[in-house]
Amino acid sequence: MKCPRCDGNKIEVIATSPVGNVWEVYECMDCFYSWRSTETPHIHDKFKLKKEQIDTLQVIPPIPPLDK
Amino acid sequence: MAKVYQDLRSFLSTLEENGQLVRIKEEVNPEPDIAAAGRAAANIESGPAVLFEKVKGYPYSVVTNVHGSWANHALMLGMDKTATTKEQFHEINRRWDRFPVKPEILKREEAPCKENTIDKAEDINLFELLPLYRINDQDGGFFLSKASIITADPNEPDNFDKLNVGTYRIQVKGKNRVGIQALAFHDIAIQLEAAERKNEKVPICITVGNSPLVTYMASTPVMYTQNEYEFVGALQDGVPTQIVQSDLYKNLYVPAGSEVVLEGYIEPRVREVEGPFGEFPGSYSGSRRQCVITITHVTHRTNPIFENLYLGIPWTEIDYLMALNTSVPLYQQIKRDFPEVQAVNAMYTHGIGCIISTKVRFGGFGKEVAFRLLSTPHGGSYSKIIIIVDEFVDPFNLPQVMWALTTRVRPDKDVVVIPNCPGMPLDPSSYPAGMHSKLIIDATTPKDPEPNPREVELLEPPAGYEKYEALIRKLMSEM
Repeated sequence: MKCPRCDGNKIEVIATSPVGNVWEVYECMDCFYSWRSTETPHIHDKFKLKKEQIDTLQVIPPIPPLDK
Repeated sequence: MAKVYQDLRSFLSTLEENGQLVRIKEEVNPEPDIAAAGRAAANIESGPAVLFEKVKGYPYSVVTNVHGSWANHALMLGMDKTATTKEQFHEINRRWDRFPVKPEILKREEAPCKENTIDKAEDINLFELLPLYRINDQDGGFFLSKASIITADPNEPDNFDKLNVGTYRIQVKGKNRVGIQALAFHDIAIQLEAAERKNEKVPICITVGNSPLVTYMASTPVMYTQNEYEFVGALQDGVPTQIVQSDLYKNLYVPAGSEVVLEGYIEPRVREVEGPFGEFPGSYSGSRRQCVITITHVTHRTNPIFENLYLGIPWTEIDYLMALNTSVPLYQQIKRDFPEVQAVNAMYTHGIGCIISTKVRFGGFGKEVAFRLLSTPHGGSYSKIIIIVDEFVDPFNLPQVMWALTTRVRPDKDVVVIPNCPGMPLDPSSYPAGMHSKLIIDATTPKDPEPNPREVELLEPPAGYEKYEALIRKLMSEM
């Protein structure tokens, strides 16, 4: 299984339906996109991520320097 | 004495009694049904809260649009559901002056939020507790959009005035792991920075499903040293709100009636991808690297109700939630220095658009009032389009505001743009995100020493018009 957003292949099942066996929730461990097995994700091009983009995304809030 | 709620459930009962809550009893899919109902309820005049009793695969119920109409907003205040927006504005202001009202601290065994406890991190599963769902199609995951989040100042952990109760978006990233958005100008970011400078965890409680005024104050921009719980008591017209100590942190207090309390910590100096998320300006904010929280302890009521809100192109529930609770604190902060100010309408996109009515003491006074708005903590970054009108113009009456603009403004001297100021980064016209220009339109009547060469006399309503207004209303109601 591939991540529909970043094409990463580190996908984990983070939940199964507590009632019945009706869905699972998957998450990409590279970009943290998550989706339910009952969904058909269609990520708009604007929101797709390449692996090299992930490290350069804006950091909010900025990490301050450590106190000396 | 106005009706007061100490938890979400009692408010839902009041909404139902007043025809402002509907139940969907049939099983629904998490996507897209719950978000679709949130949009639909916002499209309906005086839209009700919508309670889904059965969500496929989940054991518990979910409610949305709890604050999503002026009728629900009035009932939150214990007012008649037909109260106008302006009446509600003035009632909140009246109660605001009661601040501070100390909260009532309950014993653990008295607090409904402690009915059930999960004390091992490995036993926590947010998907069992909350019927999580995607709110907007391109959201990066399932979000809590209406939680009230409690943190303390790491440099003064026992200072109750600096205990922060705020609303920040939360992305679920695992059974006991979530992301949080803490923007640099938010109160929680002050606390986060102090902790991260020392590489310390930030203790945090995320509370879901609260009394309506707790949620209301959590999303109200009050001063950093003003405690939100003490404002809830004020807005409850002097009745203290009930809180209880967190199980993990003796200096954190949570609403005693919460449906679910998640306790844990923000991991210091860690950022990972969060978003996109459909935000209040009616568009998505993109992916950014943001903070992460590990949840290690949970308490919850039996059969907890998950309260969440839908955000879409305005107006949706969030616009009702953030309308007067943005207007009132800005009014209170400005009128402290400028008692001439009559009312502030900051209902447009969380105060990005703002209309202020004021008496004018001297030439240029309108602009001075605008500058004061721009020097409030919230107005400084959020407010971008500021319209100042005379005291006889009702800022909540947009046709009257348009009249003031069309008859009072001389664009060459009354319209000012100030470049390179702080901006609200989620406003898609802010560039770079967090910077913006400010537009001030002074639609007040010129006053000495500013010349007013064509001074006019305003039209007065004919004598006896009130009598005819009542008569016409009566005749119409009899038709």
